Amino acid sequence: MKTAIYNISWVLRISYSVLFVFLNFYTVSGQENGTMEDAKIALSFNEEADSKIIIATATNFNNDPIEDLELYFYVKRTFSNLPIGDIFNVTDETGTVKIEFPNDLPGDSEGNVTILVKIIDSDLYNDQTIETIKKWGVPSPSPDQLDEKRSLWAAAANAPIPLILIISALIFSIWFIIFYIIYTLFKISKIEIIKSKPY
Amino acid sequence: MNTKIEHNQEFNDRREKDLLRHILKTSWRYKLWIAFLILVILIGMYGYYRQLKYGLVVTAMRDYTSWGIYISNFVFFVAISLVGSLFSSILKLNKNEWSKPLTRISEIIAVSAIICAIVIIIVDMGRPDRFFYVIRYLRIQSPIIWDVIIISTYLVISLILLYISLLPDLALCRDRLKAIPNWKKKLYRVLAINWQNDPRQVTMLQKVTKILAISVLPVAFAIHTVTSWLFATTWRPGWDSTNLGPYFVSGAFMAGAAAIIIAMYFIRKSINLKAYITEAHFDKMGKLLVLLSLVYLYFNINEYLGPAFKMVGVEGEHITELFVGNYAPMYWFVQLGGLVFPIVLLLFKGMRRSLPIFIISIFIILGAWFKRFLIVIPSLQHPYLPIQGVDESYLHYNPTWEEWTITFASFAWFLLIITVLIKLFPVIPIQKHEHLSKRHPILNF
Repeated sequence: MKTAIYNISWVLRISYSVLFVFLNFYTVSGQENGTMEDAKIALSFNEEADSKIIIATATNFNNDPIEDLELYFYVKRTFSNLPIGDIFNVTDETGTVKIEFPNDLPGDSEGNVTILVKIIDSDLYNDQTIETIKKWGVPSPSPDQLDEKRSLWAAAANAPIPLILIISALIFSIWFIIFYIIYTLFKISKIEIIKSKPY
Repeated sequence: MNTKIEHNQEFNDRREKDLLRHILKTSWRYKLWIAFLILVILIGMYGYYRQLKYGLVVTAMRDYTSWGIYISNFVFFVAISLVGSLFSSILKLNKNEWSKPLTRISEIIAVSAIICAIVIIIVDMGRPDRFFYVIRYLRIQSPIIWDVIIISTYLVISLILLYISLLPDLALCRDRLKAIPNWKKKLYRVLAINWQNDPRQVTMLQKVTKILAISVLPVAFAIHTVTSWLFATTWRPGWDSTNLGPYFVSGAFMAGAAAIIIAMYFIRKSINLKAYITEAHFDKMGKLLVLLSLVYLYFNINEYLGPAFKMVGVEGEHITELFVGNYAPMYWFVQLGGLVFPIVLLLFKGMRRSLPIFIISIFIILGAWFKRFLIVIPSLQHPYLPIQGVDESYLHYNPTWEEWTITFASFAWFLLIITVLIKLFPVIPIQKHEHLSKRHPILNF
């Protein structure tokens, strides 16, 4: 009897959890369908003598400013995105957020950097990413144009000449011997053919 | 006409019969051994499949111990591969008659070991396709590039070394062995490249053998010295040493000689070559091993005495960890069981008989493998910059089962290549070219 009650209680618990999960799922998907919308983000860039400011303005479909929307700012790097701005960047009552762009970020050979502004996991607005290319980075010349001294720690194009010479000489001499041996083997294989011709 | 008579009979003399017999007959023990090796390789391949699928995270390698047993295994195989040059160059140029029957075994082991070293380094890269980046973004200043260049060169040289010494015997296989499958006949015919024991051919082969015997030595020294530079050029305690090159090279010769003794023991038993690999060979190898071990002991003392006397900072921590810390049991097993005791034991004649020296060599090989573990891992766990705020798992290194299965599979590969080569080709040189011995005694092999 005791076991039966115990079993029933377990059945109830499990059905309750299943129901709970199902209802929760239903509410979440309902929310997505009903209230999520796209926010519009306008970017403007303010460049003064010493500071570079990114101003983002978020508006909804009625063109009303969105307050308290969290935006994420990144600069695209080779392997991942570098976050810039404060830890949290939230729009004010005019729907605007300003962040300062660092002065010392390397860009491509012309100084172009790709700035990304994202809405991530907002309760009310869909995720989106805006990409803008701006000439705000420090130009980084390609390695072979670098005006660096030839050294062990320089880029491949600026390896020390003695090192290149020594390694090339070593590789050349040993592979010369290898090819000479292969050539001799080839000659060995040909000797018998010449000898067997008279037969 | 002579050739025709030779064709009609299976073997010319007893030497040929003894040394070619194993190519004709395949025992069930051989098949079982091959099946066992393939099984180990398959298990290893499953581990590697998991590593490819989930990435290097399936290994225990993390930010600090970024080189694990893969790299210690790599160093071990590079070390073993040096043995080819010991026999084909050092002993040959020093006119040692006794070592000639062992030359081929050493060359086979060298080829197999260097192939495994290359495979294991690709495994360690995690993404094998990235290997081409090493070539594409080649940076000549990097010791890793030097290593890539020298290892591929040594692979080619080892293959040529083996091939050149095999050539007359390949022709012999082509001419004598009739009761073999067609693919084998074709293999011998193609590989023997028209070798007919023509005096001109013999002279040319002698010439390239001499060139090769001289040129393989600097390459062999370079391959292990460059491997040691991978460590010596990295700023870590235990590696920051000028002694590392000779220390690695001398250790390699010792491990290689021990590997030869183990191979000799098995080959002698399994294909019944007691008349060709004699107790006298084991005795000579024992003496050679003592000499090589003493050189290695000398460099070992050099390697540890300085830092252990000064005990400076992290270098001191590293030494303490080895001498009395977590790695002490392994360290003392390696230094005593794998180095000091073998030297002492092998000084006695009785210990240089085949069975005792075989057991001692197994200890030396085990010691050699764990020595590479001790060179790689404890150093990585003691960086000069303090370790702060990292995950607890970064502080230790216990290889995962994937790493172990892949490592064992590499050993199985190593043994499989050796076994197949021994099965396909005469393991002891059959043709001797006595007629040239008076004019060029060095080249009499």
